Amino acid sequence: MSEVSGPTTDEANGPADSGVDRSLRERIRSNPRPALLWAAGALFLVALEFGRLLDGVLVFGQAIVFVIEGFASLPPYIGGNVEGVVAGVAGDTPGLLVGALAHDGTLLAVMFVVATLLQGYLPVRLDDVLGREMSRRRRIYGERLALTAILGAVAFALIYTPVGSIVDTEVGAWVTGVGILSDLPTLTSRELIPNLGHRTPGGGWEGTFMGLSPAWAWAIRNVLVWIYAFVCLAWVWRGYNVYRTYYREADWTPRDDTVKRFRNHYWGMFGLIIVFAFVVLAAFAPAISPVPADANIYEPYNHEFEYLNDDGEIETVYQGRANLLSESDGQGTVGPMSYDDFDRWMPLGTTPDGESMTTNLAYGARTSLIIALSAVGFGALIAIMLSLLSAYYRGLLDIIVVFTSDTIISIPVLVLVMMLVVIFQQSEHWLAEPLDGGVLLAIILGFAYWPGMWRSIRGPSLQVAEEEWVDAAKTYGQTPRKIMRKHMAPYIMSYIMIYASLLLGGIIITVSALSFLGLGITEPTPEWGRLISDGRPYIGTDSYHVSTIAGIVIALVVLAFNALGDGIRDAIDPEADVDGGDAGATAGGGGG
Amino acid sequence: MSQETVTPDERPGRDTMVEVRNLKTYYEQGGLFGGTPVKAVDGVSFDIERGETLGLVGESGCGKTTLGRTLLQLEEATAGEIRFDGVDVTTLSGEELYEWRQNAQMVFQDPESSLNDRMTIGEIIREPLDVHDWKTARERKQKVRDLLDTVGLKREHYYRYPHQFSGGQRQRIGIARTLALEPDFIVLDEPVSALDVSVQAEIINLLEDLQDEFGLTYLFIAHDLSVVRHICDRVAVMYLGHIMEIGPTEELFSDPANPYTQSLLSAIPEPDPTSTKQRFTLRGTPPNPRYPPEGCPFATRCPVRIRPPEYEHLDEEVWEGIGTLREVLRERERAERTVRERIGELLGRESRFKSLDETYDELFGDVAVPEDVQSVLDDVADLVENDDEAAALALLAEEFASVCDGHADGSGGFDEDDEPIQPEYHSVSVSGRKSFCHRHAEAYREPDDVLDERHG
Ligand code: SF4
Repeated sequence: MSEVSGPTTDEANGPADSGVDRSLRERIRSNPRPALLWAAGALFLVALEFGRLLDGVLVFGQAIVFVIEGFASLPPYIGGNVEGVVAGVAGDTPGLLVGALAHDGTLLAVMFVVATLLQGYLPVRLDDVLGREMSRRRRIYGERLALTAILGAVAFALIYTPVGSIVDTEVGAWVTGVGILSDLPTLTSRELIPNLGHRTPGGGWEGTFMGLSPAWAWAIRNVLVWIYAFVCLAWVWRGYNVYRTYYREADWTPRDDTVKRFRNHYWGMFGLIIVFAFVVLAAFAPAISPVPADANIYEPYNHEFEYLNDDGEIETVYQGRANLLSESDGQGTVGPMSYDDFDRWMPLGTTPDGESMTTNLAYGARTSLIIALSAVGFGALIAIMLSLLSAYYRGLLDIIVVFTSDTIISIPVLVLVMMLVVIFQQSEHWLAEPLDGGVLLAIILGFAYWPGMWRSIRGPSLQVAEEEWVDAAKTYGQTPRKIMRKHMAPYIMSYIMIYASLLLGGIIITVSALSFLGLGITEPTPEWGRLISDGRPYIGTDSYHVSTIAGIVIALVVLAFNALGDGIRDAIDPEADVDGGDAGATAGGGGG
Repeated sequence: MSQETVTPDERPGRDTMVEVRNLKTYYEQGGLFGGTPVKAVDGVSFDIERGETLGLVGESGCGKTTLGRTLLQLEEATAGEIRFDGVDVTTLSGEELYEWRQNAQMVFQDPESSLNDRMTIGEIIREPLDVHDWKTARERKQKVRDLLDTVGLKREHYYRYPHQFSGGQRQRIGIARTLALEPDFIVLDEPVSALDVSVQAEIINLLEDLQDEFGLTYLFIAHDLSVVRHICDRVAVMYLGHIMEIGPTEELFSDPANPYTQSLLSAIPEPDPTSTKQRFTLRGTPPNPRYPPEGCPFATRCPVRIRPPEYEHLDEEVWEGIGTLREVLRERERAERTVRERIGELLGRESRFKSLDETYDELFGDVAVPEDVQSVLDDVADLVENDDEAAALALLAEEFASVCDGHADGSGGFDEDDEPIQPEYHSVSVSGRKSFCHRHAEAYREPDDVLDERHG
């Protein structure tokens, strides 16, 4: 028997292969230094931007509340409809009764679905709790039902008893608390390094960071943002390495090779860096903007500021008024790297509406990122689930999925999306509201693009379903769900990642195109495509910077996502294993 | 289909573990729209004793892997019974099936494909224990390390990945996984055929040691006959979904009774150069299992096929030609003609279904065909010319078919509605070896004689 030919067979190397089973906590306890050092650094980084993080948490919480409310509206909706129908047929009292039953039934059904998803993560087992033997199937269903009952009880308590309002108040208090904490100054906050201020008659600046000019104050804050972001990235990478060197049990995993190949893939690394920058731009939009978005874009007539007028007097003016007089519309132009007439610093000039281009770009990155990520996430979820199910079960299900996806694919994406967008926007559906249509667009795009993603992973999932390890799992009675999750999903994940990163670029373009056509994201939510279309008439004038800059940024980001996709593909490509020679398998195998 | 009433493999006084009775596994291909199924396993019956190793051999595509997979309920049986310790597992489902699965496991053929290479060795071997909630997590890990020991790997290999192991080592990991639930019965599906010759022996020895240590019962599926001869107590020879011969290994290898076993064995080079055993090659390829021959499955290739007495001494080449002609006609009968082709033919245009002239040239061109045979062939050609392949086939059958092709013997008549006759299992030795062939019946000469005469 040939010896193991893996990268390291050195027994003295770290805790791996010690032959003693210890949990991660025990492993850290026995050698705490590296972990503590890393954690201290991480804590420090978190503390620097604690307020902004809490802000993020709040936004995330809002998103979750939105989703939950969407689901929560289901029982009343169904209950109400049933009530209406039955009342029409059989009178009011039975209508009310049946409606209430339908309401509660729907509620329980939703709870059961949630319980099914949660059941696998229960900390205790039903047979232990009851202290008696039960068959696996009975135990699983028992656990699901028990969980449904608990969830149902909680829901009923919230809806029908004062507990609901108490919880509401409680949550509200917490939200307020977090809100207050999130106002804590952070390293990159505007409060710490303000760049808004006015010229003094004496020639200096007032209100800006250390009396510097707004341009310098803004530049310092931006440099801090980028340094901070890249330090964070480096620290995460360091954390991975600390774990790998000191705490991981395996001294080699297939993923190590993938990571290594990706690190040597310059094109992919280029993509990763640009994509990371794009994410930072979105995440730190408030710090990167020279003028805050709500003052400059959303409510310009609720925000005033002071400036030194031509007569040498300090005057107060609305942002909106200042915008009107700073438009880059061919006639007047506030170009990149300049101040407008109100001494507002415009690093990338102004838009045709007189708003700050930088603010628009940064917040537009948020819009694009949120839409692209949620669309791809939503589409990928459908694609993965359907491809796993159809590859595992085949037969009729497979045919239905093929038929459905072919039908959707046969309609050009842009046409399909435009059709749906118009329908929803015309009917003023509640989905069309958040992000000025952004959420709606994400769902529609996810729906329009899942067949493509499904196709890209269909081959791999059919292939992996044929692997003998899937049969092996069947022979010892593994459940279909776990077979799909453990033995099939990881293999198609890599393919979907490649396709998703290519698609992300495509979706950013599609959203821009729609906004360009006036269908996507409406005013005032900033969006890159709209910047292009707004600036298009002035492309031949001094105000050419509007379309040009927005166009370049879009092209760069899309290119970067493609590069990232290429990098991931090359990194996971099994062919590369052969060249790398690192995986070192098959000393005596593979003969036939 | 199968008419045998005798249980082919019944030996009283033994401790039988697995009883398979008249098992059929058909694959419905083409999904929704029915169509002719592939008869991968077409009525097999045998027993497996506790603690023995039963070999299952045959050419690829003969249904041996499907049979193994059906035993483990990886495929659904179309008909028949599989009784493990008296319980028919084809009727199990849900919870009962899940409980039963602990008792029967499988070692797979391809060590590259049988281990999920995103999981560590420890996770792979532990999974069956996790699925069956075996004791506590810590005890499971301990057990996995013990198993690694048992199959000759190191306990420290727990956190390695399959990539880091050679084919032989990976196969050991697969074996450790099958042992995790302490099964009684293991299907070994060509466990060494993907390995280097030097490693094969090690794995075979390991399997033998484990069998002794844990009292395991094996079904050893293989196409490498020398390996089978080494490890198996008894052997079943499979062809086209049927077991052709089953009996104790040594006896079967040294004195094969069934014509198919003889053909198969004559293909392996004899290590002993002084051996007088005659060699002959098996001609042709196995027929499409979707449309197997009607009588004996081996009839299309059998070197000692029973012939109608009046044609007994016809040339070997002529018989070969007639056999091929039959296949061609059957193929043509099955081939569907498109509407366009039919219209084309009506208009007298050439279709891809050409007349038989060329085929005749190829088959009988340089063979002396006797008068009486030639006249039958001419009639056949006429019928084919009129697109009546069915009648042509019937004519061929009437003249040249025998009991091997499923026709009542001697009658010469051909009746569409008759159930084709299949051979029966005949006891061919005192040990209870069975062979699936008409030639063991009183009325015919034994295969050996005929083989000497025709191919000697
Ligand atoms: S039954 Fe006929 S065709 Fe079949 S093996 Fe025996 S002799 Fe050959």
